[in-house]
Amino acid sequence: MIRLDNVTKQYTTEVTAVRDASFDIPKGEFVFLVGASGSGKSTLLRLLNRQERPERGSVFVAGQDLNAMADSKVPFLRRNIGNIFQDYKLLLNKTVFENVAFTLEVIGRPNHVIKQQVPAVLELVQLHGKEDRFPHQLSGGEQQRVSIARAFVNRPLIMLADEPTGNLDPSTGEGIMRLLDRINKTGTTVVMATHDQRIVNMMRRRVIQLDRGVIIRDQVRGVYE
Amino acid sequence: MLTRITYALRETWASFKRNVTLSAASIVTAAVALLLAGSTLLIQKAFSNLLIQWQGGVEMIVFMKAGTSPEQIASVKQEIVDAGVAAPDGISTLDQQQTYDQAKVVLAGQTTLLNALSPTSMYSEIRVTPAKGQQDRLPDLKTQIEIEPNVSKVGLATDAILVYRRLSSFVRGVTIVLSSVLLMVAVLLIWNTIRTAMFARRREIEVMKLVGATNWFIRIPFMLEGLLQGLIGSVVSCIGLVAANSLWTNNLNGIAHDTKSSETISLLALRVDSGYLQGIMVIVVIIGMAAGAIGAGVAASRFLDV
Ligand SMILES: Nc1ncnc2c1ncn2[C@@H]1O[C@H](COP(=O)(O)OP(=O)(O)O)[C@@H](O)[C@H]1O
Ligand SMILES: [Mg+2]
Repeated sequence: MIRLDNVTKQYTTEVTAVRDASFDIPKGEFVFLVGASGSGKSTLLRLLNRQERPERGSVFVAGQDLNAMADSKVPFLRRNIGNIFQDYKLLLNKTVFENVAFTLEVIGRPNHVIKQQVPAVLELVQLHGKEDRFPHQLSGGEQQRVSIARAFVNRPLIMLADEPTGNLDPSTGEGIMRLLDRINKTGTTVVMATHDQRIVNMMRRRVIQLDRGVIIRDQVRGVYE
Repeated sequence: MLTRITYALRETWASFKRNVTLSAASIVTAAVALLLAGSTLLIQKAFSNLLIQWQGGVEMIVFMKAGTSPEQIASVKQEIVDAGVAAPDGISTLDQQQTYDQAKVVLAGQTTLLNALSPTSMYSEIRVTPAKGQQDRLPDLKTQIEIEPNVSKVGLATDAILVYRRLSSFVRGVTIVLSSVLLMVAVLLIWNTIRTAMFARRREIEVMKLVGATNWFIRIPFMLEGLLQGLIGSVVSCIGLVAANSLWTNNLNGIAHDTKSSETISLLALRVDSGYLQGIMVIVVIIGMAAGAIGAGVAASRFLDV
């Protein structure tokens, strides 16, 4: 599903965010990217949906070589990739329903599809009954669920999560992890960047560890350290 | 498809409302620029109506009586060439049909005057553009030619016409420069409006790009916004053009009515007929919409780095 071959990403001549990274993530796997702040986790995720392009090496996602992909094809790649973030990135002037519907709307899905899929995914993230609330009327955990619903409503092949529990208290964070686990069980490949030791140790999934842009560990059913 | 259209229209309108002051500035500037551009075309048309006979540096016109044969016209032409005042290619002849067609242009809309004319009643004309440095010899040539048979009269470009000619190209130059500058300012203002609108919606745009909206999908509401601004600006300028032209026409008609002199015809030539005005308005609206949409589209692409 995802393959990196000797990928190097340099922002400037001084800053090499990812150095000679290679790994292979099969379909349906759940992978943690761990490492200290600034070790290159977010950059790695951004390489996977072509928000960044590598200076060296190749990135393959869903069978496609992202280096060779034309700019005009990138939106269609991204329709297969859901993204969630530490700060949720919800649209504050839209309701829960509208935030989730937005994904389908901007890729031109017809209204009847929106009316059917949005309630279904809100049910999945346990937000039914809160469709008409605005983000500021929700707790942090609920806001993150909205953002997961938005990322998942189009049934993507891949979910990229960048420190999704970073702003949440431990028990709320665990709820989010259970949700991501359920999504993973539907066959969606999940790649999650985190430096939350507790969660990594609790989940016991594959762990790829970065240190200043270099992969120093790649372990199945790993722990944080 | 319907979702996309309603989405684009809703976003366009929302953004337009959000930026009322900036939009108003763009619209007013666009309107003034287009009004100036349109007026330039109107003024140019008025002058060229007036100067139609004197186009291309013509400084002497020999009017040949109705019914003069082509051979007789040719012999007068030869006489002018022999005098050395003008080279053969500086002399053009218009037969009666051609002078009649020209009268129709000058007198457009003036049916009573036009009905009094017919091709057989018209003069033929020999138009003379003097060779360099030969202008001073024109008065002598005039007295020489005037006594030829079949010559009705000989007209020399008066000082007034020479002044009009220079004035018209000066006015044209100034208004073209002014209106292009203003149009550029309008496009810059539209550019800035779009940039502001995109900045206000940067979070939304970021999300749109992440969930796979195409660049065109993101760009189109902004282009529509620019197009709307250009459209409103050009419509405002069209209203101004119609008002200016009817003021102008009324004024000329009034003067013509009061004087009733032989100058009436040349005064009336300064009027611009409504067909030409409509043509100008179509051009103005097209320029306005195109400049708005393209300016906005370029601005959107510029701030939409993938
Ligand atoms: N857009 C950018 N421009 C320049 N340097 C960047 C940019 N994004 C990240 N970096 C740098 O790249 C390195 C890796 O950053 P990042 O991928 O955000 O790490 P992490 O997510 O693990 O904290 C850091 O040194 C960071 O300062
Ligand atoms: Mg990060």
